[in-house]
Amino acid sequence: MKLSLKNCSFSYREGEPIIKDLSIDIEPGRLVAILGPNGSGKTTLLRCIMNFLKWDGGNCTLDDEEISSMPPSRLWSRIAYVPQAKGVCGGYTAYETALLGRAGRGGVFSNPSKKDKDAAMSALRRLGVAHLANRRCGEMSGGELQLVLIARALAAEPKIMILDEPESNLDFKNQLIILDTLSELAASGMACVFNTHYPAHALSRTDKSLLLAPGGEYLFGDSAKIITETNIRRFFGVDAVIGSVEGAGTSARTVVPLKLASGDAPAEKPGGRVLAVISMIIREHSAVEKINAILESYSGILVGRMGMPYRRAGVSILNVTADADKKEIDALTTSLGAVRGVTVKTITTAADESADIGRAEVV
Amino acid sequence: MKNNAKTPRLGLSPLAVAILIILPLLFGFAALLIGRFSVSPADFAGAVMRFFTGGSAERADAVIGMRLRRIILAALCGAGLAVSGSAYQGLFQNPLATPDTLGVASGASFGAALAILLGGGIFPIQLSALLFGGAAVVLTKLTSPTRGNGTSAAVLAGIMIQSLFNALISLVKFAADTDDKLPSITYWLMGSLQSASWAGMALGAPLIIIGITVLFLLRWRLNLLSLSDDEARSSGVDMKKLRIAAVVCATAITASCVSMCGQVGWVGLLVPHMMRLIFGSNQRRLIPASIFAGAAFMIAVDTAARSLTAAEIPVSILTAIIGAPFFIYLMRRENGNGGVK
Repeated sequence: MKLSLKNCSFSYREGEPIIKDLSIDIEPGRLVAILGPNGSGKTTLLRCIMNFLKWDGGNCTLDDEEISSMPPSRLWSRIAYVPQAKGVCGGYTAYETALLGRAGRGGVFSNPSKKDKDAAMSALRRLGVAHLANRRCGEMSGGELQLVLIARALAAEPKIMILDEPESNLDFKNQLIILDTLSELAASGMACVFNTHYPAHALSRTDKSLLLAPGGEYLFGDSAKIITETNIRRFFGVDAVIGSVEGAGTSARTVVPLKLASGDAPAEKPGGRVLAVISMIIREHSAVEKINAILESYSGILVGRMGMPYRRAGVSILNVTADADKKEIDALTTSLGAVRGVTVKTITTAADESADIGRAEVV
Repeated sequence: MKNNAKTPRLGLSPLAVAILIILPLLFGFAALLIGRFSVSPADFAGAVMRFFTGGSAERADAVIGMRLRRIILAALCGAGLAVSGSAYQGLFQNPLATPDTLGVASGASFGAALAILLGGGIFPIQLSALLFGGAAVVLTKLTSPTRGNGTSAAVLAGIMIQSLFNALISLVKFAADTDDKLPSITYWLMGSLQSASWAGMALGAPLIIIGITVLFLLRWRLNLLSLSDDEARSSGVDMKKLRIAAVVCATAITASCVSMCGQVGWVGLLVPHMMRLIFGSNQRRLIPASIFAGAAFMIAVDTAARSLTAAEIPVSILTAIIGAPFFIYLMRRENGNGGVK
């Protein structure tokens, strides 16, 4: 099920557009982040998509069917909404909350059927919170509550899930649990769209990112190409560094804000042409398709590819060689690293003649 | 991770259902026998026999007939006020919302008092009570801030509407004939189940029964009312229709109760909250529990009102004596631990 926005616009007051001529497509199985400074219209956009607010113009469609003219029961069996976990449903237990995700089904006087109850429980199980079934939401931690709210959305068996800042106000561990959950849902074929204040999450986890600026300016595309130092300066007014952090056996791309941007934007430095070998250990077979799609989109810069299964360990090894500007290699590495079940490392060396071939750099 | 947790029960347990059904029946039977004129179980059995065999009526029969009428009325009004309290609490997302605190009862009382002043019969009284009860709830909803509502916002708005209608009631009393109309308005306003006739009940009871039935059938989806607007809409249920259905039912029930037995306060607060403490806040359980417990509570209170002293105590005095301290207890609890919602 494809969610498409075409030339969509919205403003609260005439002449002050919040969203202007926005056109994006969201395919099944995609994890999409919406980023932007406060007041740039992230939540407004989500509310417009869900028909809580009326677009001023444009077409917002689900598989070519206009969302604004869909009957609610039809729309909400396809889209599910996860609000911010702020003091909601305090008196209900996790099970009762998850079960409310099924309220749109059946006649208005009906009570939940066995099937509804099973769906609610299996949603709780899938998110690992079934043991909380009898706990009141008001007595849960923020992370648990957020998982229960996602379970409620999941119980409706949607094709698209829309989440409002799901990992805000959570600690490190719970942020990771939520992000892992979203990655898993997307890997299972559901499109997940979420607002976030963390560019690093968008960079390291999502397929596509939408950057919004107050006034309606936007950028949409592959997260690795959209989340750049230049764009963060442009959209957030912050000088930030994007780099890799090495951990035990893994490396992560991250975004570190340094200071408020001042003066003119520094001229973009070309990264310089490099030769790169990107090595991947693929632990989950489902990742192969996504990796192939990413490599396909970068086919112009690839000069070689070697793959082999290593059956005893149940993994596949894939090495690709690329020759391109360093920025492009970084973007490719980031895209590949965001795929679930893949470990990626890249070795580069300057490709021009004057460079010292012996000095390799780990990215 | 313990991921094989069993599916919890959503509805009431069979034991709870049995107790909830037996309680009002038991109270009702006891109430038949209790009172200034003592009726023994043997008298009762005789009365039942004579009713079916058509034997000549004795004095006990008339007493039992009168008590039976009151008990049925008490059960209806108790169930109705309790279930509408439960519905209002969901609608206003506020544990302190009740037919009294929202001004519905005052509005309905004013409507009824006005109809009495103008010399209407039972039907105009009920219609007028319904109309002004509905007006009161709409006014309360309109005047209470919809966004960022603390639990007290709707109650404060309700108090304003309530005092407005109380002022209007005073105006009606002021204008009423002191020999004839004023005493009947005053006595009726204090709340009494004594004056109800079978004819009056035949008009009021259907509305109460229909209202209770609809709320009972909607019981699971009424939970959606306590979600935020966006969340509730995202369930796919037409929230506007659900809200209107709940408001209309709860208001019709309240107005009918008021038109039959005056302003009996606090039942809509006391009973749902006692049930909430026992069964939790899910309306799937709360609505049926409130219906039966409300009936049992009202039968007990009315029986006390007519048999504690030689002269009958207005029933609203008794409910207020129990209700006001309980309301204070809830307010304090509310501020203490973030709500019983």
